[in-house]
Amino acid sequence: MLNLLTAERIKLFRSKKLYIVLGILSLVPIYQAAESKMAVNHGAKLVQKLETVINGASGILMMEKNGFTILLVMSAFISFFIGEEFQNGTIRNALSLGRSRIHYYLSKFVIAALLAFVGVIVMTSLGMISFSTVLGFGEVAEISNYFLYASQTFSTLYLLILANVSVYVMISFLTKSSGISLVWSFLYTIGTGFVPGVFQQTTHFKHITFWFTESFLFYFDFANPAVIAKYPQMILVSLITIVVSSILGITIFKRTDIK
Amino acid sequence: MPETILKATNVSKQYGKHKALDKVTIEIKRGMIYGLIGENGAGKSTFMRTIMGLITINEGNIELFGKTGTKGLQQARRKMGQSIETPALYPDLTARENLQVQAANGGVSEREIDDLLSLMNISHTGKKKAKNFSLGMRQRLVIASTLITNPEFLILDEPTNGLDPSGIVEMREIIQRLVTERGITVLLSSHLLDELSQVATHYGILHDGKLILELSKEELARETSQYIELETADVPKAVVVLDEWGIRNYEVMNGTEINIYERIDDVAAINRALVLADVNVSRIGATRQRLEDFFLQLTGGTSHAQSFNSRKN
Repeated sequence: MLNLLTAERIKLFRSKKLYIVLGILSLVPIYQAAESKMAVNHGAKLVQKLETVINGASGILMMEKNGFTILLVMSAFISFFIGEEFQNGTIRNALSLGRSRIHYYLSKFVIAALLAFVGVIVMTSLGMISFSTVLGFGEVAEISNYFLYASQTFSTLYLLILANVSVYVMISFLTKSSGISLVWSFLYTIGTGFVPGVFQQTTHFKHITFWFTESFLFYFDFANPAVIAKYPQMILVSLITIVVSSILGITIFKRTDIK
Repeated sequence: MPETILKATNVSKQYGKHKALDKVTIEIKRGMIYGLIGENGAGKSTFMRTIMGLITINEGNIELFGKTGTKGLQQARRKMGQSIETPALYPDLTARENLQVQAANGGVSEREIDDLLSLMNISHTGKKKAKNFSLGMRQRLVIASTLITNPEFLILDEPTNGLDPSGIVEMREIIQRLVTERGITVLLSSHLLDELSQVATHYGILHDGKLILELSKEELARETSQYIELETADVPKAVVVLDEWGIRNYEVMNGTEINIYERIDDVAAINRALVLADVNVSRIGATRQRLEDFFLQLTGGTSHAQSFNSRKN
């Protein structure tokens, strides 16, 4: 497993994909801070519930503000990062050396998870710094212990993102093609973002809405104490998604014939 | 007796109703260069993939370095290297970086990288990315990549595919050098028997997923060696003359044709003897069966292979 991770590290650091992902996740918060500053200069009043991030303190919510962007960027990265191994035939190089398919799958997942972690750290840090610079650090309303709130919120939001990363990895291993994986990952993100809302319209299936991580990521206000109280449920749903998608992905990948 | 490196017994692989491999049994011993020949779609790459564990088999057993079972085969595969079909490289990485990745995959040191780059004559490529390499350079890089883990058994699927004549000669020399200098056992495939005959020591001919014939270099040479082709309406009389001349190695092909496999230089003398014995000779002359004809004869139908196998036994 460590050998495979070393190989992944070499590939990742020589790859343009890494720098494109980090570039996008770095530029977005700076651009948003500048945009908010311009809006304030033009007399607009920022509302946390609508804008999500309105100062340095609420910058911890950058993942919530840019959930869809992060998911799109990560799905594209994962689709290419894994799909190309199948398309170039390079997956054979590791597997034919007797490397376990479980380890190969997990090494890809670990790298995607680490990149997502570094990406959201960069995005959140730059968001907090740039919003603090232009609008001041300020505070998050109704939060007394900011450090505890920030660490819990960051961890929960990261887990929600990670659950999606896990599904994208599974999709890439199942489709074995960058292009097809990209399409299915996009459809999954859109589908789980909007379709679960349909369950809200029913009487008996309302609870199903919250078995999809996007329902929390796209529609909840993470500065609201009622939402903060739902963190354990979000963590549970994320962990279940990670475990189920990984088991499913590994099981199918183990039976897959490599061309 | 040399150690058995690969023993595949009754290996079958089925895709839907199509049998890609049908009870293929092959044994490769240390030091062999085993050439797998077959037309496109005969099952060569599928067989190689089953050996490398890239595809599952429906039936049969695979033994590598005496080991079987999932764990045993995984361990054994660490002593192997492969290049199946297209060169599998990271197009955006340099030659050195490609080797670094493979060294990491195999859990071996990067010490040998420089030696391998010069062995394969690609040390001059520097920062050039693999996607900008010629096909010949890519093939050489793939071989270098397979060697980084110091394999004892190398599987090369059509390594000369797409190469120009000088590239083919170079690849052949590389394979021979690996065998003599590093003692590597090789399983390689091609759809050109003529090309394989210049390197392989043993041959297996696959047709429609079945192994229709296995033969050694000597047996192949015998099968494709020069012989005298005699055409006459008096076959029984001609046979008497040949027997009187002490010729034993001949074969009556049909009612009018005899192939004589010895005393190739005595065509004129044999002809004279036949004429003197009142045998009506329509045609006589030395001829050589081309390797490709031999192959086509085999793949044209299994009956020839069966007759060869029965003669062998």
